[in-house]
Amino acid sequence: MLLPWEYSVRNLSRRPVRTGLTLMALSIVILLVFVVVGFIRGLERSLRVTGDPDVVLISSINSEANLESSAIPARTPTLIAASIDGTQSRYGVICASPEMYLGTRVTVSDREPAPGLIRAVTTAAPLVRRSVRIEEGHWPDRGEVLVGRLASAKLGMTDEAVAIGQTLTFEGQTWKISGRFTADGAAYESEIWCNLEDFQSATKRQDLSLVALLLKPSASPGEVSLFCKERMDLELRAVRETDFYAELQQHYRPVRLLAWTVVVMVAGAGIFAGLNMMYGAVAGRIREIATLQAIGYRRRAILFSLIQEGVLLSATSSLISGVIALALLNGVAVRFTMGAFTLRIDGPAILIGCGTGLLLGVFGALPPALKALRSSVAVSLKAV
Amino acid sequence: MKYQHLCVLGLSLLLTSGCSDAPQDNGVANKTGAIAPGTGTQYLTSSEPAAVMEVADARKSAKADEAIAIVGRIGGSEEPFVDGVAAFTVVDLKIAHCSADEGCPTPWDYCCTQDQVKDNIAIVKLVDAEGKPVTDDARKLLGVKELSVVVAEGTARRDESGNLTVAATKIFVRPVK
Repeated sequence: MLLPWEYSVRNLSRRPVRTGLTLMALSIVILLVFVVVGFIRGLERSLRVTGDPDVVLISSINSEANLESSAIPARTPTLIAASIDGTQSRYGVICASPEMYLGTRVTVSDREPAPGLIRAVTTAAPLVRRSVRIEEGHWPDRGEVLVGRLASAKLGMTDEAVAIGQTLTFEGQTWKISGRFTADGAAYESEIWCNLEDFQSATKRQDLSLVALLLKPSASPGEVSLFCKERMDLELRAVRETDFYAELQQHYRPVRLLAWTVVVMVAGAGIFAGLNMMYGAVAGRIREIATLQAIGYRRRAILFSLIQEGVLLSATSSLISGVIALALLNGVAVRFTMGAFTLRIDGPAILIGCGTGLLLGVFGALPPALKALRSSVAVSLKAV
Repeated sequence: MKYQHLCVLGLSLLLTSGCSDAPQDNGVANKTGAIAPGTGTQYLTSSEPAAVMEVADARKSAKADEAIAIVGRIGGSEEPFVDGVAAFTVVDLKIAHCSADEGCPTPWDYCCTQDQVKDNIAIVKLVDAEGKPVTDDARKLLGVKELSVVVAEGTARRDESGNLTVAATKIFVRPVK
Protein backbone atom coordinates (compact mmCIF):
# COMPACT_ATOMS: atom_id res chain seq x y z
CA MET A 1 0.00 0.00 0.00
CA LEU A 2 1.33 3.44 -0.99
CA LEU A 3 1.22 6.53 1.21
CA PRO A 4 -1.43 9.06 0.18
CA TRP A 5 -0.30 11.78 -2.29
CA GLU A 6 -1.44 14.48 0.16
CA TYR A 7 1.05 13.14 2.71
CA SER A 8 4.01 14.26 0.55
CA VAL A 9 2.39 17.61 -0.22
CA ARG A 10 1.56 18.31 3.43
CA ASN A 11 5.08 17.32 4.48
CA LEU A 12 6.48 20.05 2.25
CA SER A 13 4.26 22.69 3.83
CA ARG A 14 5.10 21.51 7.38
CA ARG A 15 8.62 22.97 7.00
CA PRO A 16 8.02 26.07 4.87
CA VAL A 17 11.42 27.71 5.40
CA ARG A 18 13.38 24.58 4.51
CA THR A 19 11.09 23.91 1.54
CA GLY A 20 11.41 27.52 0.37
CA LEU A 21 15.19 27.47 0.59
CA THR A 22 15.40 24.15 -1.24
CA LEU A 23 13.04 25.43 -3.91
CA MET A 24 15.23 28.49 -4.38
CA ALA A 25 18.47 26.47 -4.55
CA LEU A 26 17.01 24.04 -7.08
CA SER A 27 15.57 26.91 -9.15
CA ILE A 28 18.95 28.61 -9.33
CA VAL A 29 20.65 25.38 -10.41
CA ILE A 30 18.05 24.72 -13.11
CA LEU A 31 18.22 28.36 -14.24
CA LEU A 32 21.97 27.99 -14.68
CA VAL A 33 21.37 24.93 -16.84
CA PHE A 34 18.90 26.99 -18.92
CA VAL A 35 21.49 29.77 -19.36
CA VAL A 36 24.19 27.39 -20.59
CA VAL A 37 21.87 25.36 -22.84
CA GLY A 38 20.34 28.61 -24.17
CA PHE A 39 23.87 29.82 -24.98
CA ILE A 40 24.70 26.64 -26.90
CA ARG A 41 21.39 26.63 -28.77
CA GLY A 42 21.75 30.34 -29.63
CA LEU A 43 25.29 29.92 -30.96
CA GLU A 44 24.36 26.85 -32.99
CA ARG A 45 21.29 28.52 -34.47
CA SER A 46 23.17 31.68 -35.35
CA LEU A 47 25.72 29.69 -37.37
CA ARG A 48 23.11 27.36 -38.84
CA VAL A 49 20.72 29.99 -40.16
CA THR A 50 23.45 32.20 -41.58
CA GLY A 51 24.28 29.84 -44.40
CA ASP A 52 22.21 29.87 -47.59
CA PRO A 53 22.65 26.64 -49.60
CA ASP A 54 22.41 28.56 -52.88
CA VAL A 55 25.15 31.02 -51.93
CA VAL A 56 28.82 30.39 -52.62
CA LEU A 57 31.54 32.47 -50.98
CA ILE A 58 34.69 33.19 -52.96
CA SER A 59 37.61 34.28 -50.83
CA SER A 60 41.37 34.06 -50.77
CA ILE A 61 42.81 30.53 -50.80
CA ASN A 62 44.94 31.35 -47.76
CA SER A 63 42.17 32.78 -45.61
CA GLU A 64 40.58 29.46 -44.53
CA ALA A 65 37.65 30.30 -42.21
CA ASN A 66 38.89 33.81 -41.44
CA LEU A 67 37.32 36.19 -43.94
CA GLU A 68 38.97 39.21 -42.30
CA SER A 69 42.36 38.03 -43.53
CA SER A 70 41.11 37.41 -47.06
CA ALA A 71 42.17 39.73 -49.87
CA ILE A 72 41.11 39.08 -53.45
CA PRO A 73 41.44 41.26 -56.56
CA ALA A 74 38.72 43.87 -57.10
CA ARG A 75 38.15 42.58 -60.65
CA THR A 76 37.02 39.16 -59.34
CA PRO A 77 33.23 39.91 -59.56
CA THR A 78 33.57 40.98 -63.21
CA LEU A 79 35.56 37.85 -64.06
CA ILE A 80 33.04 35.66 -62.28
CA ALA A 81 30.10 37.30 -64.02
CA ALA A 82 31.77 36.64 -67.36
CA SER A 83 32.80 33.07 -66.60
CA ILE A 84 30.06 31.42 -64.53
CA ASP A 85 26.71 30.77 -66.18
CA GLY A 86 25.08 29.45 -63.05
CA THR A 87 24.84 32.82 -61.25
CA GLN A 88 21.32 34.10 -60.74
CA SER A 89 20.34 37.50 -62.02
CA ARG A 90 17.37 39.63 -61.04
CA TYR A 91 16.03 42.48 -63.12
CA GLY A 92 19.22 42.35 -65.16
CA VAL A 93 21.50 42.57 -62.11
CA ILE A 94 23.85 39.64 -61.53
CA CYS A 95 23.55 38.36 -57.96
CA ALA A 96 27.23 38.70 -57.09
CA SER A 97 27.96 40.72 -53.98
CA PRO A 98 31.50 42.12 -53.66
CA GLU A 99 32.23 42.69 -49.99
CA MET A 100 34.89 43.85 -47.58
CA TYR A 101 34.72 42.39 -44.11
CA LEU A 102 36.72 43.82 -41.25
CA GLY A 103 36.80 43.80 -37.47
CA THR A 104 37.74 47.26 -36.27
CA ARG A 105 37.38 49.68 -33.32
CA VAL A 106 34.11 51.58 -33.49
CA THR A 107 33.41 54.70 -31.45
CA VAL A 108 29.81 55.60 -30.67
CA SER A 109 29.35 59.28 -29.73
CA ASP A 110 31.76 60.10 -26.89
CA ARG A 111 32.03 56.56 -25.52
CA GLU A 112 35.12 54.35 -25.42
CA PRO A 113 35.87 52.56 -28.73
CA ALA A 114 34.60 48.97 -28.89
CA PRO A 115 35.34 46.13 -31.32
CA GLY A 116 32.79 46.04 -34.11
CA LEU A 117 32.30 44.13 -37.36
CA ILE A 118 32.05 46.09 -40.59
CA ARG A 119 30.77 44.69 -43.88
CA ALA A 120 31.19 47.06 -46.81
CA VAL A 121 28.70 46.19 -49.53
CA THR A 122 27.05 47.38 -52.71
CA THR A 123 23.37 47.36 -53.59
CA ALA A 124 23.88 43.78 -54.83
CA ALA A 125 24.18 42.56 -51.22
CA PRO A 126 20.42 42.27 -50.47
CA LEU A 127 20.00 40.24 -53.68
CA VAL A 128 22.39 37.63 -52.32
CA ARG A 129 21.76 37.95 -48.54
CA ARG A 130 18.11 37.12 -48.89
CA SER A 131 17.31 37.05 -45.17
CA VAL A 132 18.25 40.71 -44.67
CA ARG A 133 15.31 43.05 -44.07
CA ILE A 134 15.50 46.79 -43.39
CA GLU A 135 13.25 47.28 -40.35
CA GLU A 136 13.70 51.04 -39.98
CA GLY A 137 15.28 53.81 -42.02
CA HIS A 138 16.76 53.43 -45.47
CA TRP A 139 19.65 51.84 -47.41
CA PRO A 140 22.87 53.77 -46.61
CA ASP A 141 23.95 56.57 -48.92
CA ARG A 142 27.54 57.79 -49.04
CA GLY A 143 28.87 58.32 -45.50
CA GLU A 144 26.01 56.36 -43.93
CA VAL A 145 25.74 52.94 -42.31
CA LEU A 146 23.04 50.36 -41.68
CA VAL A 147 23.26 48.64 -38.30
CA GLY A 148 22.16 45.10 -37.55
CA ARG A 149 19.70 44.27 -34.77
CA LEU A 150 22.52 42.94 -32.56
CA ALA A 151 25.20 45.50 -33.47
CA SER A 152 24.58 47.31 -30.18
CA ALA A 153 25.22 44.06 -28.26
CA LYS A 154 28.43 43.46 -30.22
CA LEU A 155 29.55 47.01 -29.35
CA GLY A 156 28.45 46.56 -25.73
CA MET A 157 25.99 49.48 -25.93
CA THR A 158 22.30 50.13 -25.69
CA ASP A 159 19.99 50.18 -28.70
CA GLU A 160 19.50 53.93 -28.19
CA ALA A 161 23.24 54.53 -28.67
CA VAL A 162 23.01 53.14 -32.21
CA ALA A 163 19.61 54.57 -33.11
CA ILE A 164 18.92 56.10 -36.50
CA GLY A 165 20.53 59.53 -36.79
CA GLN A 166 23.37 58.76 -34.35
CA THR A 167 26.94 58.76 -35.59
CA LEU A 168 29.69 56.13 -35.46
CA THR A 169 33.40 56.64 -36.03
CA PHE A 170 35.64 53.97 -37.49
CA GLU A 171 38.65 53.88 -39.80
CA GLY A 172 39.10 57.61 -39.24
CA GLN A 173 35.73 58.54 -40.68
CA THR A 174 32.39 59.51 -39.14
CA TRP A 175 29.33 57.64 -40.37
CA LYS A 176 25.66 58.46 -39.81
CA ILE A 177 23.26 55.61 -39.01
CA SER A 178 20.62 55.51 -41.74
CA GLY A 179 18.72 52.40 -40.74
CA ARG A 180 18.47 49.14 -38.88
CA PHE A 181 18.18 45.63 -40.32
CA THR A 182 17.36 42.10 -39.21
CA ALA A 183 18.41 38.81 -40.81
CA ASP A 184 16.32 36.05 -39.18
CA GLY A 185 18.93 35.52 -36.47
CA ALA A 186 21.86 35.18 -38.89
CA ALA A 187 25.36 36.31 -37.93
CA TYR A 188 25.04 39.50 -40.02
CA GLU A 189 22.72 40.92 -37.37
CA SER A 190 25.74 41.93 -35.28
CA GLU A 191 27.38 43.76 -38.18
CA ILE A 192 27.49 47.33 -39.43
CA TRP A 193 27.01 47.65 -43.19
CA CYS A 194 28.40 50.56 -45.17
CA ASN A 195 29.05 51.54 -48.75
CA LEU A 196 31.91 49.54 -50.33
CA GLU A 197 33.53 52.47 -52.16
CA ASP A 198 33.39 54.66 -49.05
CA PHE A 199 35.02 51.96 -46.96
CA GLN A 200 37.70 51.22 -49.56
CA SER A 201 38.55 54.91 -49.57
CA ALA A 202 38.57 55.08 -45.74
CA THR A 203 40.83 52.02 -45.44
CA LYS A 204 42.92 52.95 -48.49
CA ARG A 205 42.37 49.48 -49.90
CA GLN A 206 41.28 48.51 -53.38
CA ASP A 207 40.86 44.79 -52.88
CA LEU A 208 37.88 42.80 -51.60
CA SER A 209 37.51 40.26 -48.81
CA LEU A 210 35.03 38.06 -50.62
CA VAL A 211 32.43 37.78 -53.32
CA ALA A 212 29.13 36.13 -52.41
CA LEU A 213 27.34 34.53 -55.37
CA LEU A 214 23.73 33.46 -55.50
CA LEU A 215 23.51 30.44 -57.78
CA LYS A 216 20.55 29.30 -59.82
CA PRO A 217 18.83 26.29 -58.21
CA SER A 218 20.03 24.13 -61.11
CA ALA A 219 23.66 25.29 -60.85
CA SER A 220 26.37 23.45 -58.94
CA PRO A 221 28.88 25.08 -56.58
CA GLY A 222 31.39 22.81 -58.34
CA GLU A 223 31.20 25.19 -61.31
CA VAL A 224 32.50 28.01 -59.10
CA SER A 225 35.17 25.77 -57.56
CA LEU A 226 36.26 24.84 -61.09
CA PHE A 227 36.57 28.52 -62.00
CA CYS A 228 38.73 29.10 -58.89
CA LYS A 229 40.98 26.17 -59.81
CA GLU A 230 41.25 27.33 -63.42
CA ARG A 231 42.21 30.86 -62.38
CA MET A 232 45.17 29.77 -60.28
CA ASP A 233 46.76 33.20 -60.63
CA LEU A 234 43.92 34.74 -58.58
CA GLU A 235 44.41 32.26 -55.70
CA LEU A 236 40.71 31.93 -55.00
CA ARG A 237 38.76 29.45 -52.94
CA ALA A 238 35.04 28.74 -53.30
CA VAL A 239 32.94 27.29 -50.54
CA ARG A 240 29.21 26.88 -50.19
CA GLU A 241 28.00 29.26 -47.48
CA THR A 242 26.37 26.48 -45.48
CA ASP A 243 29.66 24.55 -45.53
CA PHE A 244 31.54 27.67 -44.44
CA TYR A 245 29.37 28.08 -41.34
CA ALA A 246 29.44 24.33 -40.69
CA GLU A 247 33.24 24.67 -40.70
CA LEU A 248 32.92 27.57 -38.24
CA GLN A 249 30.76 25.36 -36.04
CA GLN A 250 33.65 22.92 -35.98
CA HIS A 251 35.94 25.77 -34.89
CA TYR A 252 33.57 26.46 -32.01
CA ARG A 253 33.34 22.78 -31.07
CA PRO A 254 35.64 23.22 -28.03
CA VAL A 255 33.41 26.07 -26.81
CA ARG A 256 30.32 23.90 -27.16
CA LEU A 257 32.06 21.00 -25.44
CA LEU A 258 33.07 23.31 -22.62
CA ALA A 259 29.50 24.59 -22.33
CA TRP A 260 28.13 21.04 -22.12
CA THR A 261 30.75 20.27 -19.47
CA VAL A 262 29.44 23.27 -17.53
CA VAL A 263 25.89 21.86 -17.84
CA VAL A 264 27.08 18.53 -16.41
CA MET A 265 29.03 20.25 -13.63
CA VAL A 266 26.15 22.55 -12.70
CA ALA A 267 23.76 19.60 -12.68
CA GLY A 268 26.27 17.63 -10.58
CA ALA A 269 26.52 20.50 -8.11
CA GLY A 270 22.73 20.64 -8.03
CA ILE A 271 22.49 16.94 -7.24
CA PHE A 272 24.94 17.36 -4.35
CA ALA A 273 22.99 20.37 -3.06
CA GLY A 274 19.80 18.32 -3.34
CA LEU A 275 21.45 15.38 -1.55
CA ASN A 276 22.59 17.66 1.24
CA MET A 277 19.14 19.13 1.61
CA MET A 278 17.38 15.77 1.53
CA TYR A 279 19.84 14.22 4.01
CA GLY A 280 18.94 17.09 6.37
CA ALA A 281 15.23 16.66 5.73
CA VAL A 282 15.28 12.90 6.23
CA ALA A 283 17.58 13.05 9.29
CA GLY A 284 14.95 15.09 11.12
CA ARG A 285 12.22 12.60 10.23
CA ILE A 286 13.76 9.27 11.30
CA ARG A 287 11.11 8.69 14.00
CA GLU A 288 8.34 9.57 11.59
CA ILE A 289 9.68 7.13 8.99
CA ALA A 290 10.01 4.41 11.66
CA THR A 291 6.45 5.07 12.84
CA LEU A 292 5.17 4.68 9.30
CA GLN A 293 6.99 1.35 9.10
CA ALA A 294 5.55 0.31 12.51
CA ILE A 295 1.97 0.96 11.46
CA GLY A 296 2.44 -1.22 8.43
CA TYR A 297 3.70 0.83 5.49
CA ARG A 298 6.30 -1.02 3.49
CA ARG A 299 9.76 0.45 2.93
CA ARG A 300 9.10 0.67 -0.81
CA ALA A 301 6.00 2.82 -0.18
CA ILE A 302 7.90 5.19 2.14
CA LEU A 303 10.78 5.43 -0.34
CA PHE A 304 8.29 6.25 -3.10
CA SER A 305 6.71 8.95 -0.93
CA LEU A 306 10.10 10.56 -0.20
CA ILE A 307 10.97 10.56 -3.91
CA GLN A 308 7.55 12.09 -4.58
CA GLU A 309 8.46 14.96 -2.26
CA GLY A 310 11.79 15.49 -4.04
CA VAL A 311 10.21 15.36 -7.49
CA LEU A 312 7.39 17.69 -6.42
CA LEU A 313 9.95 20.25 -5.28
CA SER A 314 12.17 19.90 -8.34
CA ALA A 315 9.20 20.01 -10.75
CA THR A 316 8.05 23.27 -9.12
CA SER A 317 11.62 24.61 -9.41
CA SER A 318 11.75 23.56 -13.07
CA LEU A 319 8.50 25.41 -13.74
CA ILE A 320 9.70 28.55 -11.96
CA SER A 321 13.07 28.45 -13.77
CA GLY A 322 11.41 27.70 -17.10
CA VAL A 323 9.09 30.70 -16.76
CA ILE A 324 12.01 32.97 -15.74
CA ALA A 325 14.16 31.64 -18.61
CA LEU A 326 11.41 32.17 -21.17
CA ALA A 327 10.47 35.60 -19.88
CA LEU A 328 13.88 37.05 -19.09
CA LEU A 329 16.59 35.02 -20.83
CA ASN A 330 15.11 34.08 -24.18
CA GLY A 331 16.36 36.52 -26.82
CA VAL A 332 18.96 38.20 -24.62
CA ALA A 333 21.90 39.31 -26.80
CA VAL A 334 25.32 37.88 -26.01
CA ARG A 335 28.56 39.34 -27.32
CA PHE A 336 30.90 36.79 -28.87
CA THR A 337 34.11 36.79 -30.95
CA MET A 338 32.26 36.25 -34.23
CA GLY A 339 29.70 38.93 -33.44
CA ALA A 340 26.68 38.54 -31.23
CA PHE A 341 23.78 36.15 -30.93
CA THR A 342 20.76 35.72 -28.73
CA LEU A 343 20.20 33.14 -26.01
CA ARG A 344 17.65 30.65 -27.29
CA ILE A 345 15.31 28.92 -24.87
CA ASP A 346 13.62 26.62 -27.36
CA GLY A 347 12.02 23.18 -27.10
CA PRO A 348 15.24 21.20 -26.64
CA ALA A 349 16.50 23.75 -24.06
CA ILE A 350 13.25 23.43 -22.07
CA LEU A 351 13.47 19.65 -22.30
CA ILE A 352 17.09 19.58 -21.09
CA GLY A 353 16.48 22.14 -18.31
CA CYS A 354 13.31 20.53 -16.95
CA GLY A 355 14.71 17.02 -17.45
CA THR A 356 17.77 17.95 -15.39
CA GLY A 357 15.44 19.39 -12.72
CA LEU A 358 13.38 16.23 -12.46
CA LEU A 359 16.52 14.07 -12.33
CA LEU A 360 17.78 16.25 -9.48
CA GLY A 361 14.56 15.49 -7.59
CA VAL A 362 14.86 11.73 -8.06
CA PHE A 363 18.59 11.31 -7.50
CA GLY A 364 18.70 13.90 -4.70
CA ALA A 365 16.06 12.06 -2.68
CA LEU A 366 17.11 8.48 -3.32
CA PRO A 367 20.34 8.05 -1.25
CA PRO A 368 19.16 9.74 2.01
CA ALA A 369 15.83 7.92 1.86
CA LEU A 370 17.59 4.57 1.40
CA LYS A 371 19.90 5.37 4.29
CA ALA A 372 16.99 6.21 6.61
CA LEU A 373 15.12 3.04 5.68
CA ARG A 374 18.15 0.82 6.32
CA SER A 375 18.04 1.45 10.14
CA SER A 376 15.92 -0.88 12.26
CA VAL A 377 12.44 0.32 13.30
CA ALA A 378 13.10 -0.22 17.05
CA VAL A 379 16.28 1.91 17.03
CA SER A 380 14.73 4.60 14.85
CA LEU A 381 11.66 4.96 17.10
CA LYS A 382 13.98 5.89 19.98
CA ALA A 383 15.94 8.42 17.89
CA VAL A 384 15.90 12.00 19.21
CA MET B 1 78.30 28.08 -29.35
CA LYS B 2 78.04 24.32 -29.17
CA TYR B 3 74.24 24.61 -29.34
CA GLN B 4 74.46 26.94 -32.34
CA HIS B 5 76.49 24.32 -34.25
CA LEU B 6 73.96 21.66 -33.35
CA CYS B 7 71.09 23.86 -34.50
CA VAL B 8 72.79 24.60 -37.84
CA LEU B 9 73.52 20.89 -38.32
CA GLY B 10 69.91 19.98 -37.47
CA LEU B 11 68.52 22.59 -39.86
CA SER B 12 70.85 21.41 -42.64
CA LEU B 13 69.71 17.83 -42.19
CA LEU B 14 66.11 18.96 -42.25
CA LEU B 15 66.58 20.95 -45.46
CA THR B 16 68.49 18.23 -47.28
CA SER B 17 66.09 15.48 -46.32
CA GLY B 18 62.84 17.51 -46.61
CA CYS B 19 62.08 16.68 -50.21
CA SER B 20 63.24 14.00 -52.56
CA ASP B 21 65.04 15.40 -55.60
CA ALA B 22 64.40 12.50 -57.88
CA PRO B 23 61.00 12.58 -59.45
CA GLN B 24 59.00 9.47 -58.77
CA ASP B 25 56.62 8.04 -61.25
CA ASN B 26 54.60 6.26 -58.66
CA GLY B 27 52.79 8.28 -56.06
CA VAL B 28 52.72 7.47 -52.40
CA ALA B 29 49.04 6.85 -52.57
CA ASN B 30 49.52 4.43 -55.43
CA LYS B 31 52.03 2.42 -53.47
CA THR B 32 50.06 2.20 -50.30
CA GLY B 33 46.47 1.70 -51.34
CA ALA B 34 44.72 -0.11 -54.13
CA ILE B 35 42.51 2.08 -56.30
CA ALA B 36 39.12 0.84 -57.33
CA PRO B 37 38.67 0.73 -61.12
CA GLY B 38 36.86 3.74 -62.55
CA THR B 39 33.22 3.60 -63.54
CA GLY B 40 33.52 6.08 -66.40
CA THR B 41 34.77 3.62 -69.01
CA GLN B 42 33.75 5.97 -71.83
CA TYR B 43 36.36 8.46 -70.62
CA LEU B 44 39.13 5.96 -69.98
CA THR B 45 41.51 4.70 -72.63
CA SER B 46 43.69 1.63 -72.34
CA SER B 47 46.54 2.87 -74.52
CA GLU B 48 48.70 5.91 -73.91
CA PRO B 49 48.58 8.54 -76.69
CA ALA B 50 51.73 8.78 -78.80
CA ALA B 51 52.53 12.49 -78.63
CA VAL B 52 52.35 13.46 -75.00
CA MET B 53 53.55 16.80 -73.62
CA GLU B 54 54.82 17.52 -70.16
CA VAL B 55 52.77 20.08 -68.22
CA ALA B 56 55.56 22.69 -68.24
CA ASP B 57 56.02 22.39 -72.01
CA ALA B 58 52.29 22.55 -72.60
CA ARG B 59 52.02 25.73 -70.54
CA LYS B 60 54.71 27.30 -72.72
CA SER B 61 53.60 26.18 -76.14
CA ALA B 62 49.97 25.06 -76.17
CA LYS B 63 47.63 27.40 -77.98
CA ALA B 64 43.96 27.96 -77.25
CA ASP B 65 41.66 25.34 -78.77
CA GLU B 66 44.61 23.18 -79.81
CA ALA B 67 44.23 19.40 -79.47
CA ILE B 68 46.81 18.19 -76.97
CA ALA B 69 47.69 15.34 -74.64
CA ILE B 70 49.48 16.17 -71.41
CA VAL B 71 50.95 13.98 -68.73
CA GLY B 72 51.08 15.00 -65.11
CA ARG B 73 50.71 13.87 -61.56
CA ILE B 74 47.49 14.68 -59.71
CA GLY B 75 48.31 17.21 -56.99
CA GLY B 76 49.50 20.76 -56.51
CA SER B 77 47.39 21.63 -53.48
CA GLU B 78 45.89 19.94 -50.47
CA GLU B 79 42.66 19.37 -52.40
CA PRO B 80 43.55 18.81 -56.05
CA PHE B 81 40.11 17.42 -56.94
CA VAL B 82 37.18 19.78 -57.52
CA ASP B 83 34.04 18.88 -55.60
CA GLY B 84 31.00 18.33 -57.78
CA VAL B 85 32.88 18.33 -61.09
CA ALA B 86 35.20 15.74 -62.64
CA ALA B 87 38.26 17.99 -62.59
CA PHE B 88 41.65 18.03 -60.92
CA THR B 89 45.01 19.73 -61.10
CA VAL B 90 48.10 17.98 -62.45
CA VAL B 91 51.73 18.89 -61.83
CA ASP B 92 54.69 18.32 -64.13
CA LEU B 93 56.43 15.01 -63.43
CA LYS B 94 59.78 16.77 -63.07
CA ILE B 95 58.61 18.50 -59.89
CA ALA B 96 59.38 16.51 -56.77
CA HIS B 97 56.94 15.84 -53.99
CA CYS B 98 57.61 14.48 -50.52
CA SER B 99 58.46 10.80 -50.61
CA ALA B 100 56.59 8.12 -48.68
CA ASP B 101 59.25 7.67 -46.00
CA GLU B 102 59.14 11.34 -44.97
CA GLY B 103 55.83 10.91 -43.22
CA CYS B 104 54.16 13.91 -44.90
CA PRO B 105 50.39 13.39 -44.56
CA THR B 106 49.61 15.25 -47.82
CA PRO B 107 52.58 14.74 -50.16
CA TRP B 108 50.42 15.73 -53.14
CA ASP B 109 50.36 19.37 -52.02
CA TYR B 110 54.04 19.71 -52.99
CA CYS B 111 54.63 21.65 -49.80
CA CYS B 112 58.42 21.68 -50.22
CA THR B 113 58.36 22.79 -53.87
CA GLN B 114 55.34 25.07 -53.87
CA ASP B 115 57.28 27.88 -55.57
CA GLN B 116 57.93 25.63 -58.58
CA VAL B 117 54.35 24.42 -58.81
CA LYS B 118 53.00 27.77 -60.03
CA ASP B 119 54.60 27.42 -63.50
CA ASN B 120 54.21 23.67 -63.74
CA ILE B 121 50.53 23.09 -63.10
CA ALA B 122 47.46 22.65 -65.27
CA ILE B 123 43.86 21.76 -64.65
CA VAL B 124 42.20 18.82 -66.32
CA LYS B 125 38.43 18.90 -66.58
CA LEU B 126 36.55 16.05 -68.07
CA VAL B 127 33.95 17.11 -70.62
CA ASP B 128 31.14 15.20 -72.28
CA ALA B 129 30.38 14.97 -75.99
CA GLU B 130 28.76 18.44 -75.89
CA GLY B 131 31.82 19.96 -74.22
CA LYS B 132 30.11 20.42 -70.85
CA PRO B 133 31.98 19.55 -67.65
CA VAL B 134 31.09 16.12 -66.28
CA THR B 135 29.48 16.50 -62.85
CA ASP B 136 30.76 13.31 -61.22
CA ASP B 137 33.63 12.73 -58.87
CA ALA B 138 36.77 12.14 -60.92
CA ARG B 139 38.06 9.71 -58.32
CA LYS B 140 35.14 7.34 -58.81
CA LEU B 141 34.81 7.95 -62.51
CA LEU B 142 38.45 7.39 -63.43
CA GLY B 143 39.67 5.29 -60.50
CA VAL B 144 42.39 7.81 -59.66
CA LYS B 145 43.54 9.52 -56.52
CA GLU B 146 46.12 12.03 -55.39
CA LEU B 147 49.56 11.42 -56.97
CA SER B 148 48.16 9.17 -59.71
CA VAL B 149 49.93 9.83 -63.01
CA VAL B 150 47.49 10.51 -65.83
CA VAL B 151 47.60 11.44 -69.49
CA ALA B 152 44.76 13.76 -70.46
CA GLU B 153 43.76 14.05 -74.09
CA GLY B 154 41.58 16.95 -75.17
CA THR B 155 41.50 20.61 -76.08
CA ALA B 156 43.68 23.30 -74.55
CA ARG B 157 42.04 26.38 -73.05
CA ARG B 158 44.18 29.39 -72.23
CA ASP B 159 43.45 32.66 -70.44
CA GLU B 160 45.23 36.00 -70.38
CA SER B 161 47.17 35.02 -67.27
CA GLY B 162 48.70 31.95 -68.91
CA ASN B 163 46.68 29.35 -67.01
CA LEU B 164 46.22 26.09 -68.90
CA THR B 165 43.06 24.03 -68.78
CA VAL B 166 42.64 20.82 -70.70
CA ALA B 167 39.04 20.00 -71.57
CA ALA B 168 39.69 16.28 -71.65
CA THR B 169 37.62 13.69 -73.43
CA LYS B 170 39.94 10.74 -72.74
CA ILE B 171 42.14 9.88 -69.78
CA PHE B 172 44.87 7.29 -69.64
CA VAL B 173 45.94 6.30 -66.13
CA ARG B 174 49.55 5.16 -66.06
CA PRO B 175 49.80 1.86 -64.24
CA VAL B 176 51.80 1.70 -61.02
CA LYS B 177 55.27 0.29 -61.64
